[in-house]
Amino acid sequence: MATRSSVARAARQLTSAAARRPSPFVCQRWAQASQKQRLFSVSAALKEKKYTEDHEWIEMSADGKTCTLGISEYAAKALGDVVYIELPQIELDVSEGDAIGAVESVKSASDILTPISGTVAEVNSDLETTPGNINKDPEGNAWIAKITVSGKPTGKMMSKSEYTEFTEDA
Amino acid sequence: MTEAFAARRSFLPRSAGRSYSSFTEKLADAANKLQSYISSSNDPYLNLSIEDHILRKSPADSTVLFLYVNRPCVVIGRNQNPWTEVNLGILNAAYGTHKRKDSEPPGVGTVDLVRRRSGGGTVFHDEGNLNWSIICPRGDFTRDTHAEMVVRALRKLGIERARVNERHDIVLDQGLERLACDTQNTHRTPYTMKEGALPRPLKVSGSAYKLTRQRALHHATTLLSSPNLHNITQYLRSPAKNLIHAQGVESVSSPVANIGLNVQTFQQRLQEEFATMYANFGTPSIVKTVGDDYLNIPDIRKGYDELLSEDWMWSQTPAFTLVLDSKDDIGIEMKVHHGVIKSLTFTNSNVSDKSRAALCTTLVERKLQDIRKWTPFLQSRIRSWDEGLATVATRLDQLLPVSGLPKR
Repeated sequence: MATRSSVARAARQLTSAAARRPSPFVCQRWAQASQKQRLFSVSAALKEKKYTEDHEWIEMSADGKTCTLGISEYAAKALGDVVYIELPQIELDVSEGDAIGAVESVKSASDILTPISGTVAEVNSDLETTPGNINKDPEGNAWIAKITVSGKPTGKMMSKSEYTEFTEDA
Repeated sequence: MTEAFAARRSFLPRSAGRSYSSFTEKLADAANKLQSYISSSNDPYLNLSIEDHILRKSPADSTVLFLYVNRPCVVIGRNQNPWTEVNLGILNAAYGTHKRKDSEPPGVGTVDLVRRRSGGGTVFHDEGNLNWSIICPRGDFTRDTHAEMVVRALRKLGIERARVNERHDIVLDQGLERLACDTQNTHRTPYTMKEGALPRPLKVSGSAYKLTRQRALHHATTLLSSPNLHNITQYLRSPAKNLIHAQGVESVSSPVANIGLNVQTFQQRLQEEFATMYANFGTPSIVKTVGDDYLNIPDIRKGYDELLSEDWMWSQTPAFTLVLDSKDDIGIEMKVHHGVIKSLTFTNSNVSDKSRAALCTTLVERKLQDIRKWTPFLQSRIRSWDEGLATVATRLDQLLPVSGLPKR
């Protein structure tokens, strides 16, 4: 149940989503950092979009510190017309497998699960006013949350082609 | 920790403790592919929590039927706004928020307010309404499968006008002429008319769903013999409806009717229909009555406490704006996000500048659930009380009341 912690709410009052959005300057700095890191360990495979059997996707940032999470096109199509999206609270700590939100369509509430542990850094607030966008561009503009990761996913993650095969079998 | 637990356990009769833990064990046992439960409790919070426990604990490939009847209550969907969907001011006679006038028809008594975990719109429950729920593998789930099962059960009891409609609900067709029709078709009856033709079909059962990783819950009402049909609309008509711009889910209202069956008769028929539909799995290996004492199961207790929490009831409400800007209103616009007042804007308001500032200081960042009654709340916090503030407080008491939830 998405009962929101008052700590997270208090934190949110101090730092609005807009304030947390990195300035162009910060973006530049990040890009540099990522290049450096690439020399050591971050492989291209990690940054590729990965899918779960629950039809969520995650995509790691270049520096490997945050990931963007959303639901797959297959899931968006299966849900039908989405009328409301419950987003997680910023600064909420989440563990792999937790429901971090829910999508409502045609009288059904479906949980959105996170395949990775971390802290919610940003949510796509546009979805609060235009939930229908998730039916249009679920793997692009209609991402759900960005998570500062604190571990690696231990569950099964699939590449685009593996996931396509998985949904065709289902 | 262990000691305290053991000490608490010793107050319970031994057999009771055993039977609770074995309930969950049997429920979760992979061998039990087909299970059927009925609740003897009429507590809506408990029945929804038992249902949620079944959803979470039953084997991934099992199918479970759960039947229950609640005491009078209004149940809103997970993502709905109680202030737009429900006439909160008349709900809780017992908590003193409603004084019945002599001119009013006899009331229903206390009506509980519940926010369920599934989606969909607002419904009214009472002792003449049977709730049925089916928990099945997500892969087997369609919105119509079990509504069709219920229509078959109704038709076997002679209700030939019953069918599943385009919203996956069950209606009774009101056509005046009897036309030829395939009697096996659960989406059409001899009395089905063209869409939009009068008289409209009457709704007798409304559905909502909750989908988890592997499981699907489909639950629905069935109006069999409600003594309160004439009263339902007054509970579902909110004075704030047209003044609140809300995100989230708005109910679609439909004319309703009683099916005219006895609750026990239909209950039994439905259990039989369920057994017939899943006969390929054998007969249900668990057929059991659950009740009020199941609140002693820690997981069920936890779900129960969550449903009764102020945060779930009020703060789960999607963002909304209360707009009171018409000429004869108080000229205030209030934005609320997750149950917290985020801003107050004044347009054409008679409220003095000083009082405006006082209202902002007192209310912005305040949780609605911490206010409860606006007049005493504001009066005790704003020293320079005047007529303008009194008018504002009275209006907000009318439109944004926060009633108490039942004591646990």
